[in-house]
Amino acid sequence: MELNIIFSIAKKEILDNVRNKWIIILTIIFASLTLVVSYFGSIFSQGWQDFGVTISGMMSLVQFLIPIIGLMLGYAAIIGEIEKGSMNSLLSLPADRLEILLGKFFGLGGILSFTTFIGFGVAGIIIAANVSGVNYADYLIFIGSTILLGLVFLSLALFFSTLFKKRSTAMGGAILLWFLFNMILPIVFIGVMVANISFESIASGGFPDWYFTLELFNPLSVYSALISLNVGPVSTMQGALSISYPSFYSSGLMVLILIAWIVVSLILAFWRFDKRDI
Amino acid sequence: MTAKTVKCPKCKNEITVTGNPGEKTQIICPKCSSKGTFTFPQENSEPKTTTDSFTIEVRNLTKKYNNFKAVDDVSFSVKSGEIFGFLGPNGAGKTTTIKSMLGLIYANSGEIKINGFDIKKRSKDAKKYVGYLPEKVAFYDNLTALQNMYFYAEMKNIPKEECRPLIEEMGIGDAVNKKVGKFSKGMQQRLGMARALLGNPPILILDEPSGGLDPRGVALIRNKIREMKDKGSTVFVSSHILAEVQEVCDRVGIIDKGVLVAEDSVSKLSVKLNLKPKLIIELEKISEKIVESVKKVKGVEKVEAIGVMIHITCNQKAKSKIIISVEKAGGDIVNIQTKEPSLEEVFMRFTEG
Repeated sequence: MELNIIFSIAKKEILDNVRNKWIIILTIIFASLTLVVSYFGSIFSQGWQDFGVTISGMMSLVQFLIPIIGLMLGYAAIIGEIEKGSMNSLLSLPADRLEILLGKFFGLGGILSFTTFIGFGVAGIIIAANVSGVNYADYLIFIGSTILLGLVFLSLALFFSTLFKKRSTAMGGAILLWFLFNMILPIVFIGVMVANISFESIASGGFPDWYFTLELFNPLSVYSALISLNVGPVSTMQGALSISYPSFYSSGLMVLILIAWIVVSLILAFWRFDKRDI
Repeated sequence: MTAKTVKCPKCKNEITVTGNPGEKTQIICPKCSSKGTFTFPQENSEPKTTTDSFTIEVRNLTKKYNNFKAVDDVSFSVKSGEIFGFLGPNGAGKTTTIKSMLGLIYANSGEIKINGFDIKKRSKDAKKYVGYLPEKVAFYDNLTALQNMYFYAEMKNIPKEECRPLIEEMGIGDAVNKKVGKFSKGMQQRLGMARALLGNPPILILDEPSGGLDPRGVALIRNKIREMKDKGSTVFVSSHILAEVQEVCDRVGIIDKGVLVAEDSVSKLSVKLNLKPKLIIELEKISEKIVESVKKVKGVEKVEAIGVMIHITCNQKAKSKIIISVEKAGGDIVNIQTKEPSLEEVFMRFTEG
């Protein structure tokens, strides 16, 4: 494996997104959403809210938006080039398929990470200037976890990009995946729980452990747990809703699961891409 | 054997030299006559030399799509420094063969070696020696011609300075900063050729290089192919324009329905098929007596009178006797033309039915 090949492909992906202004657009979206949520997001008080309240408000928005961005950045990365014909030329160069896949992942991942960091970062600086007693660590955990979540969906999109034979099908697959994690899985998990446990026992003793085990299969739930376990005000808010995580839920496990999603998706993407006729 | 472009340190003139890794060669600049020595860099992966001088070796290649055999047990070799034409009707298996040679598609069975490297096991090493022009030329539409070339140069680890002169050489120097998305098919084809030529590759694989080109472009590509051969490169060219192939190729391979039906030089294939030359004689006035006298000449196979012209299919030795017989029969010859068996005839005979 040659690092300069991976670097060249990653650089091209980044420059493409600089040229088509995606980087600026995403950064502005992230920054303005954060500012709007921080300033207008609380029903209890007016004006700027601290990081804890802002993160609580941002979480559902991030779970909705970041997967879409990750999926849209990656779904056409491989199949788009195959369909267009430029993959022929790329693979005729002294580059192998793993280098091309990793180049795409690092390039697109770089864009996602940069825009998330700068977008949320700029908003964070503005918020910090307007509130007192800011906890920078909480906010950095939020940004880091969000980047990790974005990379999970980017790698899933890259797998879909190698799995399907047409760009349009890959896009359909990506949309389905978004629905799966955002809507279908949560409804199914809740449905399974309600079917098995009475409402009274849920209200008195919280959710059963097996429900939380099921939740680990949804990266959005893992992301949510990672933030809740680390960001004080979010934990307090969850406590008020009588959601208490089981003892095996830890920050390390959550990070590990998100990284596993990335690694497994990339392995699957390589396995499909490497077997494929171009 | 690799080709390298070196710059004269005195006058900055560019000189292309060919040699093997590690080999030392004396260079005299043709412009300023400065003398120097150039040592070809050692390859990390030490290219293996095959038992003979074949640069491309394809052995028993078979590629199936479900139950359909797109390429069926195809074997051929291309010698170092030769131009090899790969011909076949549409859907015969030309592009499948080429894509297998580059590891773009996986063959069901068979072995392919490029410069001694097995494309399955040492794909990256094999591709270091190749410049490729695909049948469907595609670039990144959002980038300019130069930006595209810079990207490919970076991937091939070739100095960016090579890019602009190559684009200019291919006659699209005016469009160097134009986005490729706005290029015509012919312009993209020219840029595709420039990309294939990046780094003076010792092996050029060109899939339908004349596609979408105007006659000037076709001539330009033909000259480039010859120029690369002169520099020591091996050229593998697939085409359906038979006249083009006949003009530049040392040898041809003909593939039909996935099977390689012939592989040799055009003249040898003509002999194998017993194809005979044609003699066309234009007369002042034609008569039955002249036609009959030609028919009686030994070695004449077919005689056709069209206006004041007689078209005669005959063997090589009969040509002079025919001319004498025409004159003896009172024919007044205005013009004589001979047509050697063409690649088209060879192609049609091998791919018919």
